[in-house]
Amino acid sequence: MSDKKECFEINVIGHKTFQYVKNGSLLDNLEQQKIEVHYHCREGFCGACRTKLVRGEVEYNTDPLAYFDDDEILPCCCVPTSDIEIKVT
Amino acid sequence: MKYTTFSQTNNDHLAEPMFFGNPVNVARYDQQKHVIFEKLIEKQISFFWRPEEVDVSKDRLDFQALTDSEKHIFISNLKYQTLLDSIQGRSPNIAFLPIISLPELETWVETWSFFETIHSRSYTHILRNLFTNPGEIFDDIVVNDEIKRRAGDISKYYDDLIFLTQLWQTQGEGKHVVGGIEYTVTTRELKKKLYLCMNSVNALEAIRFYVSFACTFAFAERELMEGNSKIIRLIARDENIHLTSTQHILNLWAKGKDDPEMAEIAEELKDEATAIFMQAVEQEKQWASYLFDQGSMIGLNKEILCQYVEYIANHRMSAIGLGQPFEVTSNPLPWMNNYLNSDNVQVAPQESEISSYLVGQIDAEVSADDLGDFEL
Repeated sequence: MSDKKECFEINVIGHKTFQYVKNGSLLDNLEQQKIEVHYHCREGFCGACRTKLVRGEVEYNTDPLAYFDDDEILPCCCVPTSDIEIKVT
Repeated sequence: MKYTTFSQTNNDHLAEPMFFGNPVNVARYDQQKHVIFEKLIEKQISFFWRPEEVDVSKDRLDFQALTDSEKHIFISNLKYQTLLDSIQGRSPNIAFLPIISLPELETWVETWSFFETIHSRSYTHILRNLFTNPGEIFDDIVVNDEIKRRAGDISKYYDDLIFLTQLWQTQGEGKHVVGGIEYTVTTRELKKKLYLCMNSVNALEAIRFYVSFACTFAFAERELMEGNSKIIRLIARDENIHLTSTQHILNLWAKGKDDPEMAEIAEELKDEATAIFMQAVEQEKQWASYLFDQGSMIGLNKEILCQYVEYIANHRMSAIGLGQPFEVTSNPLPWMNNYLNSDNVQVAPQESEISSYLVGQIDAEVSADDLGDFEL
């Protein structure tokens, strides 16, 4: 994981915008904000948490095995590396 | 094309499609066309477990205390899962191996099927503990109409592909009459059968297990049948990885990243693929009705189970580009997620902290910063 100093903002379209807290995955952060995201494995192999990334960049701390599209991310095993905008379904 | 167990054609396997290219010759994994299958093999093997590792002895007492309608729910689900894994323990091998052209995909299918056989053996482990004579339960699987109806729908696509492949391998392309019926064998027709079969398998792995999983975990929420629940969690974790593989195959085809003809077929048969999925959803809802026809169980009823099937179907259909046909937007059974989380899966003591242990895996990267607050 990169050790960046900046604070990144996470904008969840239709929900709210909040600051990313550095410990934990993006999914952990969404859960802390009480935003419901479907999940199963939390290890990147099932794809249940597949989410649209509208803007920004993320990086993976576990090699994601599940299938997801080019404009999608797996919040269970990634962290933002810039401000991001996502759409949860 | 006649099948050979070791093709002596000196082909570049990196240039082969997943299916219907040259048969695989050397089982080599130093280079891969689709590296994802090699990664799935490693992940799946790291999940290895044995049914005997899970103590199910307390379940016998729990089972005896269940109401008759709850017993019906529990046993019917085990029968249905036994059917599903009976099919999945053999069919991917028989249907796909003869037509696969990539070593990593061939080994993935073998690994996948092998794990389904572990699941099958675990049902015997569970039933042997509950009944002095589990034979009656197994005997009913081939006579129970509700189960037979589902078996027919699932095995049909496999059987069609297997039969046409056999004709192709023994007689080649062309028109062949077998048992008074004329069959047209072309590569295109074979690929269509393969595409439909893969969609049927994908729907099976995606939703067919989930009504039964939900009932199992609903018992576990009441601290009942917990040994069984531990086994089903392990099975659910495996099924999730199997689903990932069929989603990759379907998307590799649809996005033209493998065989260009399969991309055309995916487009051409999109409605049929959707119908296969919708039919599976419908059958699962009917299964929920059958389960609850003798009375319900605490924490679960037919309506909520049907909503859960729709919710899961939305997710799984959108993953293969079939949209989200159902209106349900929030998870009607949120506690299910806890049981499907792989960190909550425990098997042997050596795995009590992390479920997927990879032997010999060492993080060899140590930076100076890691020793920053170390003083002599």
